[in-house]
Amino acid sequence: MELDTDVPMEDVEDLKQAETGSGPDASPHNNTKKSDLNPSTVGQLDEWIDKLSKCEPLSETDVKKLCDMAIDVLQFEENVQPVQVPVTICGDVHGQFHDLIELFKIGGPCPDTNYLFMGDYVDRGYYSVETVSYLVCMKVRYPNRITILRGNHESRQITQVYGFYDECLRKYGSATVWKLFTDLFDYFPITALVDNKVFCLHGGLSPMIETIDQVRELNRIQEVPHEGPMCDLLWSDPDDRGGWGISPRGAGFTFGQDISEQFNHTNDLSLIARAHQLVMEGFSWSHQESVVTIFSAPNYCYRCGNQAAIMEVDEQHNRQFLQYDPSVRPGEPTVTRKTPDYFL
Amino acid sequence: MDNYNDDLYPLALLMDELKHDDVSNRVEAMQKLDNIAIALGPERTLKELLPFLNDVAQDDEEEVFAVLASKLGDFVPLVGGHENCEPLIQILTILASMEEPIVRDKAIDSLYKISLELTLDELTGIFLTLIRSLSQGNWFSKKVASCGLYKAVILKVNSSARRDLLNLYLKLVTDDYPMVRRAAANNLPHLINLLTEFTEEKPNDVNKINNEDWEIISKMFQHLINDDQDSVKFLSIDVLIAILEFFQKINEYSFNSDFLTSALKLIKDESWRVRYTAADRFTKIAKNFTNEESDLFQLIDPFISLMKDNEGEVRKAIAKQLPSFCELLTKYQSTRATILSKIIPVVNELSQDSQDNVRASLASTITGLSPILEKQSTIDKLLPIFLVMLKDEFPDVRLNIISNLSVVDETIGINLLSTNLLPAITELAQDYKWRVRLAIIEYIPKLAKQLGESFFNDELLSLCMSWLWDPVFAIRDAAVNNLKDLTIIFGSDWANNEIITRLLNNGDKIDEDDKIDYSNFIIRITCLFAITKLIPVVDYQIIVKKVLPFINSLITDAVPNIRFNVAKSYLILVETFVRNKSKLPIKDEELKKLINLEILANLEKLSNDTDVDVRFYASKSIQGIQDLLN
Repeated sequence: MELDTDVPMEDVEDLKQAETGSGPDASPHNNTKKSDLNPSTVGQLDEWIDKLSKCEPLSETDVKKLCDMAIDVLQFEENVQPVQVPVTICGDVHGQFHDLIELFKIGGPCPDTNYLFMGDYVDRGYYSVETVSYLVCMKVRYPNRITILRGNHESRQITQVYGFYDECLRKYGSATVWKLFTDLFDYFPITALVDNKVFCLHGGLSPMIETIDQVRELNRIQEVPHEGPMCDLLWSDPDDRGGWGISPRGAGFTFGQDISEQFNHTNDLSLIARAHQLVMEGFSWSHQESVVTIFSAPNYCYRCGNQAAIMEVDEQHNRQFLQYDPSVRPGEPTVTRKTPDYFL
Repeated sequence: MDNYNDDLYPLALLMDELKHDDVSNRVEAMQKLDNIAIALGPERTLKELLPFLNDVAQDDEEEVFAVLASKLGDFVPLVGGHENCEPLIQILTILASMEEPIVRDKAIDSLYKISLELTLDELTGIFLTLIRSLSQGNWFSKKVASCGLYKAVILKVNSSARRDLLNLYLKLVTDDYPMVRRAAANNLPHLINLLTEFTEEKPNDVNKINNEDWEIISKMFQHLINDDQDSVKFLSIDVLIAILEFFQKINEYSFNSDFLTSALKLIKDESWRVRYTAADRFTKIAKNFTNEESDLFQLIDPFISLMKDNEGEVRKAIAKQLPSFCELLTKYQSTRATILSKIIPVVNELSQDSQDNVRASLASTITGLSPILEKQSTIDKLLPIFLVMLKDEFPDVRLNIISNLSVVDETIGINLLSTNLLPAITELAQDYKWRVRLAIIEYIPKLAKQLGESFFNDELLSLCMSWLWDPVFAIRDAAVNNLKDLTIIFGSDWANNEIITRLLNNGDKIDEDDKIDYSNFIIRITCLFAITKLIPVVDYQIIVKKVLPFINSLITDAVPNIRFNVAKSYLILVETFVRNKSKLPIKDEELKKLINLEILANLEKLSNDTDVDVRFYASKSIQGIQDLLN
């Protein structure tokens, strides 16, 4: 299928370069040693998760509390967040909340199943607020069970064009919630490494990145820049042509099979898993199975007619793709009704 | 408010609340009307409350009127008995004459309720006058109201007064306003039924129904079936049924050919609403024509034409009548033969109807044909249709067939059913759409009850186990629930022999190839879910000998998700023990020992796990168990 039609970004005037330096200084490796959540926090989060799972948005004050808690968790995650197997890897969701619930029916509920989402939770669909609130809630409640990466849509600029900003304004009457979430997005990890073998990110590779260690050195806590390695990781696409190419999206690059194979070899990887592009079957191999694209928004934009997919990686690194169709919405017919005779 | 003395207070309060700006407050105030009447006592209710309500009934909103109208129906004891009813009836008459149907209907119901408490004199005095004046009212709503009141008096008056009433009713049936004709047509079957009951109970009464009465009723019916409004005309079908039932009761068949002509006319009516109603009541009509073979025969072609009707709703309605109508046809050799020769071919067509709801409707009744057709014809003619419908693309069709299979089983026996239908069920059970698989799983317990244990074990058990390994979680989850439901049906020993041994890989009869490969996380967690789900429905010995060791074996699992589910399972285990405490085959101390030494000790280990979620659920279960034990 053709490329995502995202337009190139406008110039960013206020790039947050202030925080350049050696990155987060707290010990990032010891996630598990962080103190356990206290019971009242757990109760609060479970209540929010309950509410959100009915597709009811949180109040503005609750979103504020949630984002503060989420910063506390996400700022200690790494640019290349380590993830254990078994895990289920998912692509773009784009505010299609009911299809996200369908995803959990297919893959199993979190926390019983571990999840890794590769970005693009907001924009396009009608329920960006509920979708991103739900995923962030799950992240805070079960930090070891779910990993949420940053996609190119988790950005101040893109969300103003593709719906999240308008949705926040419509649902809350002001841009406060949009501001809270877009500020939070700066803390999302940008890539993940599943058991040192599967490198997961939203977009693709960057000509400025040869090793995974170079990703670790980036300062990610900032708005997605419109060029440079961090931008590329969130914007690039694999291509049939070899080498690096100019991306029609206006940000990131296209990269060929030679690039992917070299990267996998250098970093001792078995696979690059990424999202970012609509694929009709929900998943699509490229570069002789060195790159896989996973897309988890069925019938994207409610009209593309595509299937969605998720990828289960088990303890032996066996992969299984599960494809699924849009959820059955209450009040909508389960099958396309035949036209009554009198219309024929 | 202080100005009122205590006695007047309730009434004053009501008056005050009834002046409230908000309708919902006034409605609420009106809801308390009976309490106020009780507080006031009968005399003051009569003298103070009712005059006030009489004014209210002319100056408020419909919602308030509706409540008032229904409340007043229970007011007879509150005004001191039936002899004081007249003011009540007056208020209700005002309400019954209103144009708003909810108010009118409630008022009519209440008036009827009151009529049941009146003496004969009061009835003929007050009520008869009321009915007469309403029937000749100057506005349609009064006439509509009157239609609902005839039933209160029709059996209480002598034969000449009754004839007057019927003539008055005939005028309503032929009124200029369709609303009035509708109300008249609507109430007519009830009136006829009353006359039928009366004739049945008192066949030799001096006031028994005579031919002149029937002539009037017959005129009414003739007017109704020729009404130019289909919304009136379709009501004549119930009138026809009422009339037919009367003659059936008195064994009078001389008019049947006339009625049959009318019935056929209605069945073939141009308006689909009329045809729909005829289709919906087809057996009710037809069963009054079973006395004559030729009469019944004449209904077969009309029945078939309804099955082929242009309108889906009509086909849907007639599909529902199939078994009951065919049952009637079995009375005579000639009519019976037409089931196979004429009706079944059309059933076949209907099973491939273009509309989903028609096929779903047929699917819910078609299995009912098998006892009528008997074994060989069921196998030859019906089974092929079932098989087609089991593969229908609309899920309701498939489910309606499956959920009604027990009738078929009685006719052709379980073996034939299995060889013919199970392949289709198995095929659906592996449908590529997971919601179709889910629907089948949800019907398995129903099927299991019909099939019995040994048959189930042979034919469906392995299918049920295979769903546990489905790639889609929702199916695995349904499969787990299904095993629990099956255990409730077949018992704890069955679960032990057929499920638990297989899940735990420890049965002698399991081949190496069939053994479950625990190396996969999803398989281990699904086994844990399944075993945990069975805990509340299996015996104590099985829990201690099989379930507990299995759960214990998973506390060192490499995957944290398994370990915290183990923690959850322990709580369910103890919950089950505590709930069945009195029935357990061991002493209290032994149970305490088991819980402390084995379960709590393991949970303690888990509460020091490296994973935060394992620690959380372990602590939660420990807390839960301690709460249960204290």
